Amino acid sequence: MTDLNRALVDIRNIRRQVAQTTEFRGYGPLTLSATAVLALLAGIVQYEWIPEPANYPVQYVALWLTTAVLCAALIATQMLTRARRLHSGMADEMIRAAVAQFLPAGIAGAILPFVLLHVTRDVFWMLPGLWQIIFALGVFASCRCLPRPMLLVGAWFLLTGLACIALGDVRALAPATMSGAYAIGMTLVAAIHHLSAQKASTDEEQEL
Amino acid sequence: MKNKNSRSTAPFAYEGLDRVIHERARLSVLTSLMTHPDGLSFVELKQLCALTDGNLARHLQVLEEDKMIHITKEEDRGRVQTTVRITASGRKRYLEYLATLEQVVRDAASVIEASEDGRISRKLSPVNA
Repeated sequence: MTDLNRALVDIRNIRRQVAQTTEFRGYGPLTLSATAVLALLAGIVQYEWIPEPANYPVQYVALWLTTAVLCAALIATQMLTRARRLHSGMADEMIRAAVAQFLPAGIAGAILPFVLLHVTRDVFWMLPGLWQIIFALGVFASCRCLPRPMLLVGAWFLLTGLACIALGDVRALAPATMSGAYAIGMTLVAAIHHLSAQKASTDEEQEL
Repeated sequence: MKNKNSRSTAPFAYEGLDRVIHERARLSVLTSLMTHPDGLSFVELKQLCALTDGNLARHLQVLEEDKMIHITKEEDRGRVQTTVRITASGRKRYLEYLATLEQVVRDAASVIEASEDGRISRKLSPVNA
């Protein structure tokens, strides 16, 4: 490796280090609010079309996985443009870090229903609770680069997930368990990001 | 637009190499502050950058006058604690500086690579007998 290549690696390392300690502002409050609305809509769809999810687990999984994919696509699309605008030179590093922090939870959440469907259908009712617990772990993993109050969101999903499991039977598959938890949780996420962005702009104005 | 134009007409002008940042001690102070967004105390900065009290104070003054850092003094158990934080504009300028520095190294690497390729192709070209 030449000295120049080494210098490039050093610069990249500095940027990575800075990215790791910078608050990620790539999540847009409006998009996050839209995901809360999508969760509510999915709850209504479940209420109307899948009244007995225990008897139609495939449809239940399809509904919520589709909602999750839609939400992820919305968030990802906005994240790419917003992070480039707000983090300019560090955007790629920050997006990579944000994705890497949440990805394990996302993958676990995507694989879990297939395992429950094909291996242990008796405990399929645990799916919403486990999804929320996994989501909570993803939020906790991402907290390092997010506003501190985001810990509350992690705690919220952890509590709702545990509450779902505490129900102990198919009641956990009711529309309200998923749509309620995600609608409130994502609204909270949106509010925290909105307040954080407001605080950042106020701080910047005060500096000038 | 201006940058793009100046880059195409004077590719090695590197206007983004901010003179205030382009000094070893100030660069290390800013890098330390960039990686500690909650701020650092004077003592911590002194240790991280291996600077003397006087030297650090002088560089902090330059950076503060240029609105790149914000210095607060708080009393903690009878002692005055100095905390230094990087400002939003300081953060922005540091990142621009880093991008320009990266461009400098990239340009130098590509020039060297091109000259090495030229040498190799000269060596490989058939010799007319």
